[in-house]
This record gives sequence, C-alpha cells and structure tokens, in this order.
Amino acid sequence: MDYQAMLAWALPMGVGLAAVGSGLGLGRAVGSAMEAIGRQPEASGKIQTAMIIGAALIEALTIYALVVFFLLSGKIGAH
Amino acid sequence: MIASTLLALAFYSEGGGSELPSVLSLLTGHDSVVYHWVNIIYAVVVSILMCVVAITVYSRRQMIPGPFQNLVEMLVEGMYNFLHSILGHNTKRYAPFLGTLFFYILLMNLMGIVPGGHSPSTNINITASLAIIVFLYSQYTGLTQLGIAKYMDHMIGSPRDVIGWCIVPLILPIHVIGEFAKPFSLALRLFGNITGEDILVAAFVGLGVTALSFMHSPIGLPLNIPFILLGILLSTIQALVFTLLSTIYILMMLPHEEHH
Repeated sequence: MDYQAMLAWALPMGVGLAAVGSGLGLGRAVGSAMEAIGRQPEASGKIQTAMIIGAALIEALTIYALVVFFLLSGKIGAH
Repeated sequence: MIASTLLALAFYSEGGGSELPSVLSLLTGHDSVVYHWVNIIYAVVVSILMCVVAITVYSRRQMIPGPFQNLVEMLVEGMYNFLHSILGHNTKRYAPFLGTLFFYILLMNLMGIVPGGHSPSTNINITASLAIIVFLYSQYTGLTQLGIAKYMDHMIGSPRDVIGWCIVPLILPIHVIGEFAKPFSLALRLFGNITGEDILVAAFVGLGVTALSFMHSPIGLPLNIPFILLGILLSTIQALVFTLLSTIYILMMLPHEEHH
C-alpha cells in the first residue's frame, strides 16, 4: 500500500472519527442545555449563549480534522 | 439559473475538489494576477459595500426613518443589545469593533453563496489576519484596562497564598500558551467551516451536472439548493461564534469587580 492509498483511506476516516467524538460531546452539551432551559425558562438567553460558546469549542476539534483533510487531500492525487 | 449552469460547467471542466470558481477567475483565467488576488478583491468589495451603506445611512438619517434606515438601525441595535447582555456597562467602548467584525465576517461568508461570488474566508490568511487583530486588541485591552501589574497578576493566576505562588511556574506557561492558542483556534474554525461548506456546495453542483450528463444536458440538476440553505445557516452561526468568542476574550481581559 503506497502512501497515497493510505492517505485516501485514512483522511476521511479521521474526519469521521473526529465527528463521532464531537457528536457525542455536542449531544451531551445541547441535551443538558435543553434540560436547563426546561427547568428554568427565564434563563434561556444566558444558557443559549453559553451553549453556543461550548458548541463552538467542541466542534472546533472536528474542524481541525477537516483542516488536516484539506491540507493533505492534495497529496492523494487525482488518478 | 443560467449563471449557475455556467458555473456548474466551469466547475465540472476544472475537475472539482475545490470551491466554485468566481466570476472574476472565470473571466481572467488561471494564470492572471486577478486569479491569485481574488480573495483580497472580494474582501475589499465587502468592506467598500459596508462603508457605502454606513455612510449613506448616516448622512441621510432622519427622525422618521425610511425602510432602509429602519433595517440598518434594527441590525445595529440588535447587535448592540446582544453585546450588552455579555459586556454590560463596557459595551459602548467595544461594540463598534465587535459589531463591525460580525457584519464583515457575515458578508464575507455569504459572498460564497452569491452566484459568481467567492468567500474570502475560504483563505486561511484572511481569517488568520482577523484572528491576529482580535488577539492584539484583547492584549491591548488587558494592558490598558488592567494596567501592567494587574495584567501580570492575571497571567500568573492571581496568587494570594503560598500554594498560589508555588504553582505559578505551572500556571504561567498555561496562560501564555492559552493566549496564543486563541487566535489559532479562531482562525482555523472560521476557515475550516466556510471552506467545508463551500466545497460541499461545489461537490453537489458537480454531482448535479454529472447526473444529467448522459443525455448531454446543458443544465445540471439543482442538487445544491438544500446545501445553499445550510450554507446561509452556517455562515451566520460562524460569524456569530467568531464575534462571541472575541467578545469573551476581551471580557476576560477586563477588570471584573463582582469577584472582589
């Protein structure tokens, strides 16, 4: 297996694995935020702001994998 | 429709794997100066657009606003109120910078969805320069609002007892690395999201053209429309997230009196 085949296999796999991780994290974060809003609807504005910040920080990890994908996808070669 | 068909054909002939080409790069070809400067050109176009809107609305403002002035006032006031819920009484000082940042990033992101446009935030140099500006501004804020002594105190984790002073060699590198990691994550997040979104739209334009290529149709299936809607959503959320995190970084540098 040459490095191009390895890259073509590993890059999408890496993005997928990162997406699994941040999907689990986002599920927990957003679920807890929804619970908190349900318990205390008058604080929904503050909870939403904090949730968006947390979601952005969690989701950044997948984006790093995606950035690595963009950086290395040129090396796979179009054949 | 015709414009998107032309774009689809041009994209298909280029071989894919990147964002849709803009009108400028289609007209001038691959080896021209314009092709290499297309991100900067669109970024400047966006800022000129914002300047023109702001200057016309401000110079023709009236007590009873027309529809256009109403729209702009609504946007600015909404942004101000949103920032006020985070920054409190400091809003007036920082709202101009942060609000401009939000609308500039939003318009840059949306340029990729306009037919023939290209979003400058698909280039990491543009997002990195924005993140560096935010980094320098938040450090400047910390140095001027806190003063150098308090700024250093903040960076070594405000030690008040013996244990606090003992873990200073541990806390200081963490704070310094944290400060430098912030602009990296800001730049990479915006770049990755917007590039991913634009490549997704372009991939489905290519798929739509391929789907009808067996009957030599000049028009592709409009498979990219749901992803354009997703793109509008993502552009707004990413502009909001960039502004929100910049606001938080500036807020962390301000003296907070509720703890003392």
